[in-house]
This record gives sequence, C-alpha cells and structure tokens, in this order.
Amino acid sequence: MSIRVLNPNAEVLNKSAALHMTINAAKGLQDVLKSNLGPKGTIKMLVGGAGDIKLTKDGNTLLKEMQIQNPTAIMIARTAVAQDDSSGDGTTSTVLFIGELMKQSERCIDEGTHPRFLVDGFEIAKRATLEFLEKFKTPVVIGDTPDKEILKMVARTTLRTKLYEVLADQLTDIIVNAVLCIRKPEEAIDLFMVEIMHMRHKFDVDTRLVEGLVLDHGSRHPDMKRRAENCYILTCNVSLEYDKSEINAGFFYSNAEQREKMVAAERRQVDQRVMKIIELKEKVCSGTDKNFVVINQKGIDPPSLDLLARAGIIALRRAKRRNMERLVLACGGEAVNSVDDLTEDCLGWAGLVYEHVLGEEKYTFVEQVKNPLSCTILIKGPNDHTIAQIKDAVRDGLRSVKNTIEDEAVVLGAGAFEVAARKHLLDNVKRTAKGRAQLGVEAFADALLVIPKTLAENSGLDTQDVIVSLQNEHDQGTVAGLNHHTGDPIDPQMEGIFDNYSVKRQIINSGPVIASQLLLVDEVIRAGRNMRKPA
Amino acid sequence: MGFAPVNIHYHLPIDLRVGGSKFFFFFFPLFALSIFFHSSALRPFLSSPPFSDYSFFESSGIHRHTPRLSICRLRAPIIKGRANELNKMREIVTIQVGDFANFIGSHFWNFQDELLGLAEDDGADPIFKNNFMDMDVLYRTGLTHQGAYTYCPRLISIGSQGSLGTLSSSGSLYGDSSSSDATDTLTWKGAVTKLAENPREKNLFLKSLSEEGEDDPNIEDKDRVQCLERDIKFWSDFSKVHFHSKSLYELNGAWTDFQNFDNFGDGKEVLLGGLHMEELNDRLRFFVEECDHVQGIQCTVDDSGGFSAVASEFLENIADDYTNIPVLLYSVRDTFSYTDATKQRKLITRSLHDAVSLSKLSTYSSLIVPVGLPSLGGLAPSLCVRDEKNFHSSAVYASAIHSISAPFRFKPAGPISNTTYAAGSLDIGEIIHILAGQNRQNMVAILDVSMPAPSLSDKANPGGILNSFHALGTEIGDDSEDLYMDESLILNGALFSGADWASVSQVKDSICNVYDKGLRVKPRPSHLSISLTPLPIPLPFPSIFPTTTGRRGEILADQPLEGPPKGSLEVESVPVMTRLRSSIAIKPFIECRYNNLLRHGMLRGAKGAGLLRDWGFGKDEVDDMGEHLSKMLRIFNPSSEMTSDSD
Repeated sequence: MSIRVLNPNAEVLNKSAALHMTINAAKGLQDVLKSNLGPKGTIKMLVGGAGDIKLTKDGNTLLKEMQIQNPTAIMIARTAVAQDDSSGDGTTSTVLFIGELMKQSERCIDEGTHPRFLVDGFEIAKRATLEFLEKFKTPVVIGDTPDKEILKMVARTTLRTKLYEVLADQLTDIIVNAVLCIRKPEEAIDLFMVEIMHMRHKFDVDTRLVEGLVLDHGSRHPDMKRRAENCYILTCNVSLEYDKSEINAGFFYSNAEQREKMVAAERRQVDQRVMKIIELKEKVCSGTDKNFVVINQKGIDPPSLDLLARAGIIALRRAKRRNMERLVLACGGEAVNSVDDLTEDCLGWAGLVYEHVLGEEKYTFVEQVKNPLSCTILIKGPNDHTIAQIKDAVRDGLRSVKNTIEDEAVVLGAGAFEVAARKHLLDNVKRTAKGRAQLGVEAFADALLVIPKTLAENSGLDTQDVIVSLQNEHDQGTVAGLNHHTGDPIDPQMEGIFDNYSVKRQIINSGPVIASQLLLVDEVIRAGRNMRKPA
Repeated sequence: MGFAPVNIHYHLPIDLRVGGSKFFFFFFPLFALSIFFHSSALRPFLSSPPFSDYSFFESSGIHRHTPRLSICRLRAPIIKGRANELNKMREIVTIQVGDFANFIGSHFWNFQDELLGLAEDDGADPIFKNNFMDMDVLYRTGLTHQGAYTYCPRLISIGSQGSLGTLSSSGSLYGDSSSSDATDTLTWKGAVTKLAENPREKNLFLKSLSEEGEDDPNIEDKDRVQCLERDIKFWSDFSKVHFHSKSLYELNGAWTDFQNFDNFGDGKEVLLGGLHMEELNDRLRFFVEECDHVQGIQCTVDDSGGFSAVASEFLENIADDYTNIPVLLYSVRDTFSYTDATKQRKLITRSLHDAVSLSKLSTYSSLIVPVGLPSLGGLAPSLCVRDEKNFHSSAVYASAIHSISAPFRFKPAGPISNTTYAAGSLDIGEIIHILAGQNRQNMVAILDVSMPAPSLSDKANPGGILNSFHALGTEIGDDSEDLYMDESLILNGALFSGADWASVSQVKDSICNVYDKGLRVKPRPSHLSISLTPLPIPLPFPSIFPTTTGRRGEILADQPLEGPPKGSLEVESVPVMTRLRSSIAIKPFIECRYNNLLRHGMLRGAKGAGLLRDWGFGKDEVDDMGEHLSKMLRIFNPSSEMTSDSD
C-alpha cells in the first residue's frame, strides 16, 4: 500500500494476480516458440510494413524480431538469447522449459503450495539433473584426429532443425571440414577464422567450402589480370596513397614552388614504397611463370595501382582487418606493416587467384593454398532472406561442432535425455527431498518432458501415446528417443541424433533460476512510464 | 604538370596594429585564384589551370516532379597515364546516425537530388546548369545485377528498427527476386507460417514518385505539399532519393524501447551481443574501398540519446581502420530533447549523457559541430519554423549543412568557371585545419546560419550581411573580444539586390568591405567560399518562409506581413550563408558538460556515479572522460596554454 502513498498513479498487482501475470507471460512466450522446435517444426516468414522479409526457424532470431512488452516475457527472452550467445543454440528449448516449469508450478500453487517450496525443490532437482547429465553424456575422444562421424552427427542434428534435409546434409560436411580446417592443436577454436561469404544468384541455393579465402572486392585497375596461377601473396597494412593530411599538419609554404616540392616529396615516398614491392616481385618472379598478388588493408591510390599494374602485380586495397589474419593462416607468410626489409619469407602462396564479378560486386578467390588454417563458406541464394537464413544455420552448425570438440562429449537427443532424467528424478531424487519440496522436484521432472512432448506435437503425433511408450522403454532400461516420422521409440545412438552437452547443461542451469525468480514475485508495480515523448 | 595551385595557403601579415606583439593573418586560400589582402587593396591574380585526367560522360539526373527512374551516370573508370593527384576527385562518405540525423539527411539528399535534376532540366535557371560542383564527391555510380546503372549517395544511415516507414531497407534499385509467397521458401520443406505486418501506406507525395499516383489529375502539387505539412512520421515520408541497398541500416536491438532510447547506456546495450558493428564496418568498407582518395567522412549524429553511443562505437572503429581520414561531425538534436526534465534523476541522467556524449564523440572525430536549438523562434522574421515539427527544424539544419558541404565539391577545372561560379574550394581536412588546427586546437565549432541571406546591397543594414547570422547551437557565449577566433564563411547564391544574384567578385567585395570599414570587429584568420548556386527548394521542403519571401528568396517590399507561410511552390531557391567559427564562445558549452560530469559523476558521493557504472564505465574510464573534457577547456585559458606549451 505504501507505494500508493508515494505515487497515486502507480498500478499495483497483488500476490496472486502478479503470479498469474508472470505465469501467463511465460506460457504465452512458450506458445509462440513451440512450433519452432525440432525437424518437423514450422518455419516463420516475417513480412515488415515496407515489405522486408525475414525467414527464420531459429528461436533466437524470432525472439529478437518480436516486439515484446511484457516485463516477464522480456526477462525470459533475455535469458534465452543469452543462452544462444554463449553456446550457440537452445533458445527455443530454454523458453519452452521455463514456460513448462511455470505451468507445472501453477498447478501446485492453485492447489495451495507456497512458491517457496517449489523453488527449493527446483534447486534440488537442478543439482541432481546436472549430476545425472554427467553420467548420461556420451564422451567423445577428440585427440589429434577427431572422429569425423560423430561431429557430423551433431552438426546434422542441429542443421536439420533449421534447413530441410537435403540442404542440411550438404552443409554438414562443409561445416565439419571447416572447423577441422581452422582447428589448431592446443588452442581454442576461433570460429571467426571461418569466413562466411554470400553471393546472390538467380535461382541457385548452393553452398560450398573454399579452402582458402573469398574476398568481397577485386583489383581496381583495368590492366590487372583477372586470373592468375601460382601466386605469391603479399599481405600488408601499408598506406600506398598520397596523404595530404600529413602535409597539412603544420606546414605552410611561402610560395607555390615550395609547396610543389613538398607534394612531390610526399608522392615520392609513396612511390618508393610501391617500388620496394615491385623489387621483391622482380626478385621472386622474374624468369618464372609465377605471379604476384598484393592484398593491402590500407588504401592504394590510382598512381600506385598504375605502377603495380605495369609491373604485372595484382593489387587489392582496403581488405578487411580480419582477413589479414585469415590470409596468413590460409596462405602462409606474414602480414607486414612496412615494406622495408621485405623478403620472400613474408610471402604466402596460392595456386589460383581469380576474380568473379556480379553486377557491381566483385569477389576475389584465393584458392589452392597449402595447409590452410582458414577457409571460407560460400553461400549462394536467390534473395537476401534466404541467404540470411542459411547464414544463421551455418553459424549454429559451426558452433555445435566447436562445442563438441571443446566439451569432448555429446548427449543423446530426440528427447532421450529428458525422459531418462525424469525417471531418475522421480525414482531416486524425489524421496531425498524434504516435505513439500518434493512437489518442486516432481514439477521439475514433469517439466523436462516438454521437449519430447513438443517434438511429438510438431510431428502431428499423439503426445500421450508417445510419452507412454518412451517411458516404457526407459522403465525397461533401454535409452530411447522419439522417431518423429512414426512416433515409435528409437535408439538415438543408432540414428546419430546427438545434442551438445554444453547447450543442455546451460538449459538446465538457467531455466530453473529464472523460473524461481519469477515464482517469488509477489507484487508488480507499474509506475511512471517515461513522460518525455507522448506516443 | 606545371603549377598546381589547388589550396595554397598564403599567409600574409596584414595587421600589426594591436600591441605590436600579435600578428593577425587574413588569408583566402582559393584554388586558381588567390586574394592578397594588403592594406585595403584587393588584388586577385590568376594562375594557369590544372586539367583533370578524368573525363565525364553526360549525366542525367531527375527533376522534382518527374517520377524517379533509375539514374544513369557514368564515370570513366580507366585511368590513362598517371593521374594528377592534386586534381583527382576526392570522395566523401556520409554517415547518419539516429532518427533526427536521418531527418536532416533526408532534406540534405533532397537538395542534392534537386541540384542533379535542375542541372539536367532545360527549363531551369542557367545558374543551376554549370557543372562546377562535382556530385561524384557525394554520390557513387553503381551497377545492378540486371545491368542497370545507378547513382546513389555514398551513405550509411543508421536508424531504429521501424524508422524507415514505407521504405525498404534494401532500397528500391537493387530489388531482389524475393517474393513474400510462403510457398517459395527454398530452405524448408515443412510448414511455413507467415506473419505479416499491415503494409504501411504511402502518402500522396510518395505515391507521386512511384507510378501509383502519377496519373491522378485530381491531385495537385498543392495537395502533396499540404499532406507533408499535415503528417510526417518517418524521415522517408518526404524523401525523393533512391538509396543504395547497403545504405540503410536498421538497428534492431532486442526489445529496446526506442521511444525511450535516451541515454548513452541504452546505446551501448543495443550493441552488445550482436553483429551490428561487424555489419556496419563491412558496409562502410564497401563504400570506402571503391574510393580512390577519400577526403573525409561527414557524419551527422542524433546525440540526444543512445545513438551517440552507437555513433561513438562506430567512429572508434573508423579511427582504427582508417587512420588518416578526417571526420567532420555534426551532433544534432531536435527541439524535444530540450524539454525540461522534471525529475532530478532524469536531470542527472541527461546531464551525464551530454557530458559522456561530448567526450566520447570528440575523442573519435576531428571537428565537432553541435547543432540544435530548443526553439527556432529566434530565426524569425526571416523564417517561421514550427518547433514541434522535426520536419521543419531539420530542414533548416540541413540547409546549413548543405551550404557548408558546397566547397568540398567544387570541381578543380579551368579558371573561368571558378571566377564565374565559385571560389574558395576546401576539402574536409582543410576546413578542420582552419578551425581546429591553428591558433587554438579547439575542436568544437559553432555553426551560424543566415537564411535567406539578405542581399549584399542592403543599405538598411550597415553592419553588413555578417550581422544577420543566427547560431544554431546552445550555450554560446560572447566572442567579440576573442583574438584567436578562426572562421570559415560560405555563401551560396547570394543576392546582390532585389532578385539579382551577385557575382563572385561582388560577394568578395562586400565581405571585404565589411571588414575594411571596421563594421565588423577586426580582421582575423578567415576563409571565404563562394558558390553562386543558391539552395534549391525541392517540393518536399516545408513551408517555413514568411509571406514577404520572393521566388529567389529575396524580400518583397509590397507583400502583406500577415498570411500563411510560403513553401516550395512559391519559393524556388534561397540564398544561404553559413559560418563555422571556432572561438571562446563555445567555452560555456564545454564547461557546463565538464562541470556536470564532475558534480554528478566524479565527486565523492556523486548521485550519478552508479548510473555511469550501469552504462558500463569503470572509474578509470570516467576519469579519462573528465580529463578529456578539461583538456578541451584548458585551451581557452591562456595561462595554462603557456604551461602546456612548455611540456
């Protein structure tokens, strides 16, 4: 009541109303994302007011596109998106899990249980489930040559929930090969070393892995070759343009001649830098059929381009900062910041460099490199929204492979883990909880089933039949998942359906935390919205 | 190559009167034409012209009432022999961040579009004909997949999600084959749900640009102008320009409330955990890579809210990637951002935001120009602006920014065109050097505008036309005694008397006269740029001219003072005069921000310290910002300047 004294305009919701508001918001969000889950989910096409299209089956993207206003829903959405940021997947599952926890809690609360007991039960169940996950997970031996098959299975499981089968299977190999390409022993995997490039193409939906790099720009001189074989690659960050601002800084001229001299001197410096590159080219290439390519992070102005073109050098300017690193990883050599003391050791190597032009967009392919530690996934699609969706899927796929390598473990998918964990909670954990906290453990266990239930629902199967037959299998001691075509239990191991361990772990970790916070809300105050801009 | 006279800075001491210890320089660096200021004599001299190695095909633009087709204009890409680096084109990349910045930008590009159209229109006044302005400085030529040529602004515009109105974020020229037919989904064979917003309806003006409303004889331009006055929601509602598919970027922060996107912290939050910067850097690279020699970046930022954080992050990236490219930054605000804050918390938030914003933006730019008044009523009687309409205020600011940008794109051609149509070419680096690089290293400049500028021969105004300026910023002090002031004057299409345009020499004479006769304080370092082309008034320009305004922006004597304001149908062009000055008058502006940061954010027990922490600033960073602001202040204090000199 005190708030009313402080602010008579404040809107106050009392205990039960507050609780129902939060529960409804959680359920609402769950309803929106429910149809996304699994390989039989629905893809969503969002069309904006000006006709812009977005296509997504990713819970993460969908959440970000939604205009969520309810504060509870925003809280859940933030958790789910944070999940995606840290582990690359599991947004939809997180939202479903939180929604289901709230739903189960609502039943208990309506029957008179205090939220506190549920929260205590959640905590016990969470810890037990995480312990169970440690036992349940399937360890993967990574070593120097990881088992490609298991990586492919993980990637395929993720991709098939985002793209249709043929496309997903095509991407699976590409993604696993890409991650293995950039992987260095004893170092964390930096997925940024996989460049994702796209091209708009009339009808084609096609993706390929380029061992090497694809740059989104080309040479800027008409006399430079469009295709060259056996190329030395010079990766540099050296300004090859005449920079007037350097002259401007503080110098003044008493007459035009003096100025002319200064300008000429400055120009000469730039020319000298260019000449040093040309010297190196002559040294390493003359008398052979080898070619020379300069890829510069800074600018190259027309006079410099002209000099380089005359010397038969292909030059690209304003390369992406990150490509400096990628180029060296792909082609070898080193990225130089100065053209003094250039030697052959600075140079990288590529068997083929060629340019591809599409309208005003130019692409330069640097291929046939030795021992690439960087590569490019090139996506072709007929329009921007298709490309964007494939790109999202590729990113998720890459993350799943990376997670597997780092976790050195996977978890059986298709709902198998959830059914097994529920059984464990009910059989072994529930009785260890004191008093009414048992209700919390039970609610938690039932909430886990939301994953297989939703998978079944999206496949058009009878939810109860499916759950019962899955539970029967587990009661008999076999680990079984859901076959989304028939509804019969299957062995996920045999079918190659694996989820990421770290994703599962995080869902179990964050879900109950948010649900507990929401359950303990006993008053909602809405006061003083911003007065500045009346809508 | 011969004598290359572009941008020569002649320094001639001309006034040794004060105390004998100070020298005052008055110089006009003009290409191909330099003015010696000696006693009171004015001696122009000409020099041999440099010729460009580039050749240009005929360009075709569009005019205000014609529907927009894809515009075709080619620049010869082949460089024969070695280009003369002094004469080659120097590109500008424009960046607009925030919704009000885009309002201004929308007007700005409308002016450019109008100029392109008028240059092609046989019926237009010959003053718009001549090609001394090189529009390629701001525009780029492109090619679609279908093989059609395009001519679009070299622009990156960042706005909040949904701020584009009826405009598609990928522009209209590079249309892809996307269809919103759900069955066309190529990536999913399962079920597809289509969620569509109601299509936004185009207003009468926008309809007339596309084919839809073209044939309707019942709709006149009058209706279109009225519909714009009635209802403007988005900046795209009055834009007639085609944008490149990489130009428009919508910031879709997850569940950010863009209605209340009013502080630096909000902006930082939006950028977290997304690939926004990655994408923006890529887009900028696209535009910069194709430039042969960028002269600078012109950036307009709505700094009243979270967008200043977005901009400062972007500018920080730019400073890293393109070390030598100067950035000219306009930090703009609409009138709403000055609404009095009633609550103390709000007040503290706002004052801290202002301080942080100034500190951050000035760190990553070369010259910063605050633009934005709480009310534009002060511009009366020459303009009647409705404060509550961003459509109105942004038009005034855009006119000033357009005027300043004119000398950046004077074509270095023969001397004849220079003397006839324009004089005083500058590039962004030079204007920054004039204002921020000389006497004082003050990098916050004041923008003054006079619009419509009075005619040069106006006898009623003995102080000369230089007294008609209005500052477009707030918290501006007095600088009449400031000995270290630097300024740059730009006149666009000045009128000599009545509706007659003045020639370049007439303009020069009048300005020199003002200084000569001591009507205006004293000569000081100054630069003058003259363009004979006035500001063209495109159809979607607001009706903000008083009834006494004539077709060319002259003052009509025989008109009644009362009446509805005139707009684009009655006024074709107006003379605009702008001045950028770097002087002690900006001291209160910086001082206020510095003191606020000190009081609310840095002192022990300061009420806003927690707020700054929430925005993600550690104590060290706050101290750095304070130090940065105090350094900006110290330059106005001669005694500390001495000590810093000795360091």
